[in-house]
Amino acid sequence: MLEGLVCQESLDMSVLERLKWLQQQQHQLQHVVSQSSNNSPELLQQILQLHGSNNDELLQGGFSQFQMIGSGFGPNYNMGYVPSHEAMDGCISRTSSCQMDPVDAMDVLLKNGEEDKPISLKNKRKAEVKTREEEKTEKKIKVEAETESSMKGKPNMRNTEASSKETLKEVSEIPKLDYIHVRARRGQATDRHSLAERARREKISKKMKYLQDIVPGCNKVTGKAGMLDEIINYVQCLQRQVEFLSMKLAVLNPELELAMEDASVKQAYFTNVVGSSKHSIMVDVPLFPLDQQGSLDLSAINPNQATSIEAPSASWETQSQSHYNTSSLGFQY
Amino acid sequence: MASSDKTINTDVPEKDVFAIHFLQSLSNLTTQNPFNSPDTTNYRARKIKKAAYVSMAKAAGGSSRLWSRALLGRAAKENNKIVRFARRKRKVTWKISSKRRSDQRAPEATDRLRNLVPGGGTMETSKLMEETAHYIKCLSMQVKVMQCLVDGLSPK
Repeated sequence: MLEGLVCQESLDMSVLERLKWLQQQQHQLQHVVSQSSNNSPELLQQILQLHGSNNDELLQGGFSQFQMIGSGFGPNYNMGYVPSHEAMDGCISRTSSCQMDPVDAMDVLLKNGEEDKPISLKNKRKAEVKTREEEKTEKKIKVEAETESSMKGKPNMRNTEASSKETLKEVSEIPKLDYIHVRARRGQATDRHSLAERARREKISKKMKYLQDIVPGCNKVTGKAGMLDEIINYVQCLQRQVEFLSMKLAVLNPELELAMEDASVKQAYFTNVVGSSKHSIMVDVPLFPLDQQGSLDLSAINPNQATSIEAPSASWETQSQSHYNTSSLGFQY
Repeated sequence: MASSDKTINTDVPEKDVFAIHFLQSLSNLTTQNPFNSPDTTNYRARKIKKAAYVSMAKAAGGSSRLWSRALLGRAAKENNKIVRFARRKRKVTWKISSKRRSDQRAPEATDRLRNLVPGGGTMETSKLMEETAHYIKCLSMQVKVMQCLVDGLSPK
């Protein structure tokens, strides 16, 4: 159980403390393991049903390494091994709720009761890391039920991810006994703000990945700055394209009557009326296939369209026969 | 990436919606302002550009996107019309404090992005990313529509 766990982590933590504590634990926990293995099914049931009443005895028997927050387990809950736990950083995780803890404890209880030492230590490690991961997501979500269910739902995923990544580190802060400590990654702080920052940064990177799929040509560049530059470039390109196309349209537009009135639209669905006057051309666009560029059914266009219009606006409004029919969807896809 | 698609909703309506809105706005333009002077090409171009943006904002879901709301608000202000959208409650405090703290930073890429995307001045960075994605999709759709129109109307 614990001794194996400690052995593995001794490299990372202050060795002297751990060794001393380890020797203590070895004696104390030998019988505890046997106890817990006997009690595990009962513990399970009891923990499931009674969230606080019997837990002191059960957990004290089974789990010395977990310190739970008061609400679910009673504020005076104190494992016999608490004073030496300052060195036992590998097993602690801070949570702001208690509902997670019985489930977690139950899981670890089960594992401990059933398996051998090396396996159980690995499981415990996973459980601890899991609780830390859970704690982080809990900060984000702040719904206890949700974390509980998610924890039940995806323990395996988190275990495999987390256990391979994390190295367990000594907790920097050692608050009071009824707090659960956060297991931090190597070289990272554990206070609330930095965790929130980390969560925020992960959200942003997730969205950047999504953007990367949308913007073409973003795959080659890696790193936030390069990708952002690409994205900015793309947005600027698109905006310039809009401007250019609107300029083009402005040149083409004077010759075209785009006035639409609902009544005449239905009548003029497929009428092609070519304006007789030199400068004003009415073009009807019956079919406007949007999926094919460059192939359109157009009646006619004034060849002088490049020149500006001198005809007054009267010519526009009088020729009401030709209107673009757009609302009745003459589009072909 | 499937999970991110689930959490980030950037649905963009089809081309025809954009086309309808754009053509409607264009027709409004022509009926309003008769094009009867030679040197108004630039003026016309600007008007068309504005119409394009406004129609894009409307087509992309008028007030359900921050950038579209900002665009429409900006356009309305230029026309001296006050348009007010129903605003959702905004969580502001964390963002504002970080903005103050970061005033001394060198202009970052995110700041440039904020200048580009309409309404990006006061969004959180994660929200900015979502809005950028949707904005890019809508912009590309609008470009396609306009390209079709130009191709259709250009002489064969």
